[in-house]
Amino acid sequence: MQLDSRSSKKLGKTVSGLCLSLTLMAASLAAHADQLADVKKAGVLDVGTEMQFAPFDFIEAGKQKGLNAELFEEMGKELGVKIKFQDLPWPSVLPGLEAKKFDVVAGPIIVTQARKDRYHFMLPIAEATVSLMAGAKDDSIQKPEDISGKTVGAGKGSAQLEELKAFAEKLPAKVTIKEYVDNNQAYADLAAKRIVAVANSLPNISYVAAQKSNLYKVVQPPFGKKSYFAFLGRKDADSDSLIAALDGALLKMHQDGRLAALQKKWLGAEMDVPTADFTPSW
Amino acid sequence: MFDGPLFLQNFPLLLSALLTTVEVSAAALFLGFFIGVLVASLRLSPTPALKRLGGAYIFVFRGIPLLVQLLFIYYFLPRIGLPNVSPMAAAVIGLALCCGAYIAEILRGGFMAIPHGQLEAAGLLGLSNAQMLVRIRVPQAVRLTLPGLINEMILLIKASSLVSVVGLADLTRTAQNMAASDYMFVQDYLMLAAFYCLINMPLAWCGGHLERRLKEQGA
Repeated sequence: MQLDSRSSKKLGKTVSGLCLSLTLMAASLAAHADQLADVKKAGVLDVGTEMQFAPFDFIEAGKQKGLNAELFEEMGKELGVKIKFQDLPWPSVLPGLEAKKFDVVAGPIIVTQARKDRYHFMLPIAEATVSLMAGAKDDSIQKPEDISGKTVGAGKGSAQLEELKAFAEKLPAKVTIKEYVDNNQAYADLAAKRIVAVANSLPNISYVAAQKSNLYKVVQPPFGKKSYFAFLGRKDADSDSLIAALDGALLKMHQDGRLAALQKKWLGAEMDVPTADFTPSW
Repeated sequence: MFDGPLFLQNFPLLLSALLTTVEVSAAALFLGFFIGVLVASLRLSPTPALKRLGGAYIFVFRGIPLLVQLLFIYYFLPRIGLPNVSPMAAAVIGLALCCGAYIAEILRGGFMAIPHGQLEAAGLLGLSNAQMLVRIRVPQAVRLTLPGLINEMILLIKASSLVSVVGLADLTRTAQNMAASDYMFVQDYLMLAAFYCLINMPLAWCGGHLERRLKEQGA
């Protein structure tokens, strides 16, 4: 290639331009990664969730519906970003967060001490006390203790399963516990009478029982210890700013009543949830 | 038991999810075929080191369940410094690597089934290795391996039902989400099964048709 004065000037410009951009890239890589800044720059908050968790997250006629979608939309407005949800089977959600596939996890998830040690929870958004759902026409299950000696189902790897196990230990006869990859399989088995009850959080089974009152009923009172649902993010220095910003948005929604309105719409009642850091009951 | 309006509502949603499943399966099959040819050539090579290399690949990707492979590619590779892969990419790569191992063995079996006497005779007649490959080995291998390859294709489409663990909304995941909100489990899962048959039956028919055509053409 013949280099005359014009093309060599062009070459010189291209080379120096390349060098400059490479230096800038290297400099930005070396700079401290701040998740809030990254999210605001991208204009999108990536949220991982399982869209089979009515009334918080579910799909109706191909569209995502539920408390999560609307709550995150409000938080997105406060932060000035769009929300992008990713649907995964539940056992894949928390590993995905750790692998940085998304910024936060919706769910929501019950706040437990073990999880608090590993993840950074946002402020709670609903009560999560574990209860039992039994067959609507099953008169043998009138109170939680009636599951003694029978077969009960719960979701694999869930905090609700742990609560069920702890409760079952205290009962006189052995309770057989079946674990399901997703709660809906448990509900299907309950309808098929393969199990006598399903253990899950009160909001979820209230919703299912309300939707299919001919099949299911809620067993009162809730047998679990008082617990709360919250969203969470990674527990590292980068994520602190993002969680703090989202918490700020939630507090605003506490104060102006938007959170209570959403709770009433999707969960049937307003719920009293902590507005500051608290110690989980387990 | 059967909800007509719900069926009509769910049908187009499953149809678009079907597209995702077909996309991911086709891409994985395409990539997997090339991997299979490569690994089969390694296994058929006279060099012991190459043979071992091919053998190692097949050992790993046939020995580990596909579900575990998908989890690895999606969740653990980013943690050891490899770039973030999109759900579609993770699904295609995972499926391709796995079916590549099986295709390699199918192809190897096909090539080994060709009577060695043919190649000896061809050598005596002065044909080069390349000519032998193109005119004698490949045409016969195609006929011999076609049933196995069609089988693998159908297995791949069914194996693609696992890709929801890497975040890809395929046919199975979509049907599960539907059943989760409308509680019509039997109807939704029957529709799901029907959709899989919808893809697999034409494929099996095409395979049979191809086999018949090759039989007519061949010796």
